[in-house]
Amino acid sequence: MSGLLRLLDTGFEHIILVYFLLINTFYFLFNILSLAGILRYRRMITFVRFGEIFRMPIVKPISVIVPAFNEGPGIVESVRSLLSLRYPVFEVIVVNDGSTDGTLDRLTEAFDLRPSKAVFRKTVPTLPVRGIYRSAVQPKLVVIDKINGKKADAMNAGLNISRYPLFCAVDGDSILEKDALLKVVRPFLEDPERTIGAGGIIRLSNGCVVKEGQVAKVGIPRHWIARFQVLEYLRAFLGGRLGMSMMRSTLIISGAFGIFRKDIAMACGGYRAASITEDMDLVIRMQKHMHEKKKPYRIQFIPDPICWTEAPENLRVLARQRSRWHRGLIQTLIKYRGMLFNPRYGVAGMFAMPFYAVFEMAGPYIECLGYLVFAGHLVLGRVNYPFAVTFFFVAVFYGTFVSLLAILLEELSEHRYPKVRDILILTAGGVAENIFYRQYLSVIRAWSLIDYLRGKNEWGAMQKRGFAKAGQTP
Amino acid sequence: MLSIIVLYSFAYLFLLSGALFAFIFLRRLFVEARERRDLRVYLEMEKDLLEVLTASSPGRAALEFARHHRSRARVLKQLLVAYREALTGRALEPLKIIFERTIRSRCLRELRSPFLATRLQNVRLFVDFSRPEEAAHLIRLLNDKPVVRLAALNALTGIASGETLAVIFDRFERDPAPNIYAYSNVFNSLGQRVEPFVRMSLRKPLPSGKHALLIEMAGRLLLRGLYADVVRFALSPVKELRIRTARTLGRLLVPASRRVLMALAADPEWEVQAQAIRGLGNLQDWRAIPLLVKALFSPNWHVRYNAGYGLAAYGLVGVLQLQEVSRQKEDRYAAEMAGMVLDSIVLTGGGA
Repeated sequence: MSGLLRLLDTGFEHIILVYFLLINTFYFLFNILSLAGILRYRRMITFVRFGEIFRMPIVKPISVIVPAFNEGPGIVESVRSLLSLRYPVFEVIVVNDGSTDGTLDRLTEAFDLRPSKAVFRKTVPTLPVRGIYRSAVQPKLVVIDKINGKKADAMNAGLNISRYPLFCAVDGDSILEKDALLKVVRPFLEDPERTIGAGGIIRLSNGCVVKEGQVAKVGIPRHWIARFQVLEYLRAFLGGRLGMSMMRSTLIISGAFGIFRKDIAMACGGYRAASITEDMDLVIRMQKHMHEKKKPYRIQFIPDPICWTEAPENLRVLARQRSRWHRGLIQTLIKYRGMLFNPRYGVAGMFAMPFYAVFEMAGPYIECLGYLVFAGHLVLGRVNYPFAVTFFFVAVFYGTFVSLLAILLEELSEHRYPKVRDILILTAGGVAENIFYRQYLSVIRAWSLIDYLRGKNEWGAMQKRGFAKAGQTP
Repeated sequence: MLSIIVLYSFAYLFLLSGALFAFIFLRRLFVEARERRDLRVYLEMEKDLLEVLTASSPGRAALEFARHHRSRARVLKQLLVAYREALTGRALEPLKIIFERTIRSRCLRELRSPFLATRLQNVRLFVDFSRPEEAAHLIRLLNDKPVVRLAALNALTGIASGETLAVIFDRFERDPAPNIYAYSNVFNSLGQRVEPFVRMSLRKPLPSGKHALLIEMAGRLLLRGLYADVVRFALSPVKELRIRTARTLGRLLVPASRRVLMALAADPEWEVQAQAIRGLGNLQDWRAIPLLVKALFSPNWHVRYNAGYGLAAYGLVGVLQLQEVSRQKEDRYAAEMAGMVLDSIVLTGGGA
């Protein structure tokens, strides 16, 4: 019996080690690909004059759709930022999704909204729309007031009323950089037939100073929880997503900032209202659609256009957010399980979906198992030292190395943190996140399976603070 | 033992992060020093360039400038590109001379680089400074990857002669998988000079996608001389061609196209109907008003939408028709559409 237990124990140890070795090696490779991608992109855009797009008579107009649920504190700032974007032809559609905090009142007051008689095609189903408003001072602005659904439902309402062939999904608490649309639209100009989606980098606005709807001063947040998230976002966007995009394996274009071809999104039925992570769901469905229609396509991730968004600064809200993301991941992968290891769906089916299933979805469970095995050994006084050392190198050391590479990628790409002190803090964060933060998130993500099985479907809304204004301490 | 492992582990981690931080810090020092140096050189060059541009003999001054700054190619490229944006017409001549005397040969060499980004960078320099006799270098790049091809086509539009136009259209006709968007961009840049080439291409048996683009261009560039060549596609069995024809006729505003547009408004495909209805609105022929009012009651949203805006294009007469439809109770959808169009005209001041 004890022999069998020892065999099991050794088996677990090996599985855990191989798992961590593989996941960190994949992320290391993504980082290398990202590095190549960033350097290539920087060279590619040398001498590009983005302003030239203004002179192109046939540039594709964009409908920027902003779903807003209780975004009161920051919505006016966000909409101002969107209206001041540099792009030849665009409209901003704010969908007030039954907010109860006076979001619509703030918009009405700031932009002199007046009821409009606009009628639209209900191409994708949504909950009833209570009213459509146009601004008397900003002709580009349309506001839809509708009964509360979820983000997907709000996006669908925006899609129904949008006029232009491309649409850009932007969160109500996000700020886009002035040239973000000009930069993110490039793949649609270079390869308009095949490009169906493109995304940009999301950065955290915590610690930054916002002035006139734009990030005026970039800084590091004061709270360590937000600092760890800065690092996570760098790792996820500059390392992971850019690397996966280079391998044509993009499964997620963040709902906070992504641009899509409307005809393809509509052909897929728009956003799926029942989805927890509607952004990932739409991207996968669009890819599935293109494969089934046997049409070539590409979804690109651009390392340059930047969207700033607010991150939670307390553990409870963070836990809700991450639990929702993980439940969404589980739901989406189960929903589209037919694509897993299915050569019909190309790289998406043979690599991207299995990667997300094995490493992103199962990751927290294996990580928690590793901690349990180690703690068990510690309690029983049977610590396997070679395993402990190898585990440390493979999981923590290698993982930290990959995290730190993300800081290097930031330095080589956007170089947004001008102070050496900020880089020092981020580097320290790369080490410190291994103590408690990482384990905490693993447990939260692992627990989200229970929530998923219980059918928990809450949004996990976070308390909005609004952006720090110029002159305020962030 | 465990405490030693933990101790060593953290020591390694600190070493690793310290090394990374040191690398970033040193790199910053290096990059900032280089940027400072480049800025100094840039300002120095800029001062000289301003003297060249204001000299009594800019050509000779440009030669002198090129001789003096030949070795500083990296900064010189930035300066030339920046000033290319600010200058137009004859003021560009000194920049072209400087380009030819300093960077041109290097650019030509790098146009053959195995690296896509390098080729692209250099094509872009050619976009700004190329001369008609250099078209051959760019034409070679028309077989390159799409992004380079697009840049090369753009460069060619900047030095468009009869010969380069023929090359562009020949390339378009032979392209097995043309990037329609890129070509339309190129044709747009070329403007009305393309008329004889579009005519020749329209008369050739090309795939419908290419014909569709050419018809579209005839409308965008208002090539009224192509009316007869375009109108024959109204009878095409290909829906896309009929849609483009309807749209183009609505732009060309040739009075004779009213009958064709009225026929297209009865097309079985709603997309063709919608374009024809809008075209009739643009023509502003009063005989089409009843047809537009009828289209406002179409079961298709797009047809109603275009009929509404088509009527709005007539001004007061159309607005009165829209008001009447918005007041009737039999068809809620027609009334709502008329109301929306009236509303948007008022909001945007379009009725004035």
